[in-house]
Amino acid sequence: MSLAQSRLHVGREMSPGLALQIGEGAAQQVKHAEPDAGGIVPLWRQVPSQHRTDHNYYDLALLKEPVWIWSVPAYFYMGGVAGGSAMLAAALHGKKRLRRLANWCRFLAFLGTTIGPVLLTYDLGKMSRFLNMLRVLRPSSPMSIGSWSLAGTGMMAALSLLQGDRSGAVTRYGTAVGGLLVAGYTGVLLGNTANPLWRERRLLLPALFMSSAAASTAGVLQMMPLDEREEKVVQRFGMVGKAGEAACMVAMQRNDATVPEVAAAAREGKGGVLWTAAKAALVSGILVELLPVRSPLKRKVSGALTTIGAICLRFALLESGKAAAREPQTTINVQRRRMKG
Amino acid sequence: MTTPATGFFTDTSVCIGCKACEVACKQWNQLPADGDFFSGRSYDNTIHLEATTWRHVAFVERQARLSGQTTSRPFSWLLMSDVCKHCQRAGCLEACPTGAIVRTEFDTVYVQPDVCNGCGYCVVCCPFGVINRREDDGRAWKCTLCYDRQKDGVEPACAKACPTDSIAFGKLDDLREMAQARLQELHRRGVTEAWLYGMSERDQPGTEGLHAFFLLLDRPEAYNLPPDPIVPTKGVAGSWGVMALAAAGMAAAALAATHSRGGDRK
Ligand code: SF4
Repeated sequence: MSLAQSRLHVGREMSPGLALQIGEGAAQQVKHAEPDAGGIVPLWRQVPSQHRTDHNYYDLALLKEPVWIWSVPAYFYMGGVAGGSAMLAAALHGKKRLRRLANWCRFLAFLGTTIGPVLLTYDLGKMSRFLNMLRVLRPSSPMSIGSWSLAGTGMMAALSLLQGDRSGAVTRYGTAVGGLLVAGYTGVLLGNTANPLWRERRLLLPALFMSSAAASTAGVLQMMPLDEREEKVVQRFGMVGKAGEAACMVAMQRNDATVPEVAAAAREGKGGVLWTAAKAALVSGILVELLPVRSPLKRKVSGALTTIGAICLRFALLESGKAAAREPQTTINVQRRRMKG
Repeated sequence: MTTPATGFFTDTSVCIGCKACEVACKQWNQLPADGDFFSGRSYDNTIHLEATTWRHVAFVERQARLSGQTTSRPFSWLLMSDVCKHCQRAGCLEACPTGAIVRTEFDTVYVQPDVCNGCGYCVVCCPFGVINRREDDGRAWKCTLCYDRQKDGVEPACAKACPTDSIAFGKLDDLREMAQARLQELHRRGVTEAWLYGMSERDQPGTEGLHAFFLLLDRPEAYNLPPDPIVPTKGVAGSWGVMALAAAGMAAAALAATHSRGGDRK
């Protein structure tokens, strides 16, 4: 038996000489036959028998945790920067004295839409099949819409990077519209799930992602060498983004508070720490920005803080989503509350 | 649709917890083992539905009598063989960006393993926590309602193996009639807590009805079922609306930020 063959039979206790591997699940590739329970349940050696809990099933998870790895929140950030800079690039089109800034934006949009798909592919269970993302267009799936937007915007961004101010109206408006979609669809994507934390926040997430995209774009640009005129543009754009981001975060916490389990999932564990870090970085970024001095150092510090905040925020959303899925009572209570009306 | 919709009706009142369905499913579909361990939770060492576990029997030892029953001590079992619900409005299917998840000619929900690229979106979109991505395989897997067997006109392996016919397979219309009759019979005998979970759109508007529905003897939470599941796409219009507004906001911010009174257009 070849190695590949023996791998296929792992965990199935069947002789390939006697049985045909043609069952619906036979194609499942198994490297380790008996994975440990993955931390889902402690083994009986360590815990006494569990008594039935009154309100749920032994406190076992009702939903599956998101399986996404670090590259997905990293993409959320990259996509935000790409989308924000695409929009800004379109708005800067033809402004002669801001040409350098426009080019920075075009470059960022191109970079984000190039690295973004790589990050997303890295998370795929079957990386070689990444092109299947464009196999169909399924309007009911924000991920499908997002994949097409990302691909389209990537092309537009490459074009406008090459053509600069000479690019036509189609490229210009295409980049802007595509950029806006890329910046915001991720919020819809998280809201459009069965995860109680994300679902309860579904009307705030798109606004959060959109405003945070503007803030992150400005954050990156602020860390670059800018002249006075450019600095002003970036600062204005970033301030709107940061204010929006802060407002959305406050609104989210208030919204969470209506279901104690949702608030707990958002507050506790890794997600909670990251959320607090995001808040702290955002607020200090705003404060530094408001200091009544003008210096490149101040600008760079503010940009760095905003960037750190935006990255922490995206990781916080994923981690708290995991926590919310682990706790069955979160799902149950959200639904029971809704049923009561 | 040439063939009528088929599904499962799982009558938990006659389940004896033998796990024949779990074994039959693993055997027929040639699914790998999940590992040997004891969970400490009654006889349930399977714990949950998984990429490699497409039937799961839940065990609850209740210190209370079932109404209409006489036992020497207050005790009753809650046993339920859980499975993918093959929802009428399936969260997994509506979320799948590759078109790997399709509705078959039997109106069941099927993941095509040769298309799935393991993006993991269906995992967070199933309101029942059924489908999952297997780490080393990389793809999402779940019950196929024995698509291969159905194509040959035989019933799914679990239903075939069930010794008490707790798992009934058939045309959806027949199953619904059967479930109604069974419910009335149980109520007549005094088991008044019996009820039907997810049989039709009226029972479960969030999913518009399940193609694998259940007769339960307790609240859904007791079996780790959600009380009021909703397909995620219901309510997504609002999110898109908010996104559109926010997008308009960002466009306005960009235009305002780049606007200069001096007019430096050339
Ligand atoms: S129960 Fe989950 S996996 Fe099964 S059809 Fe419904 S949404 Fe899909």
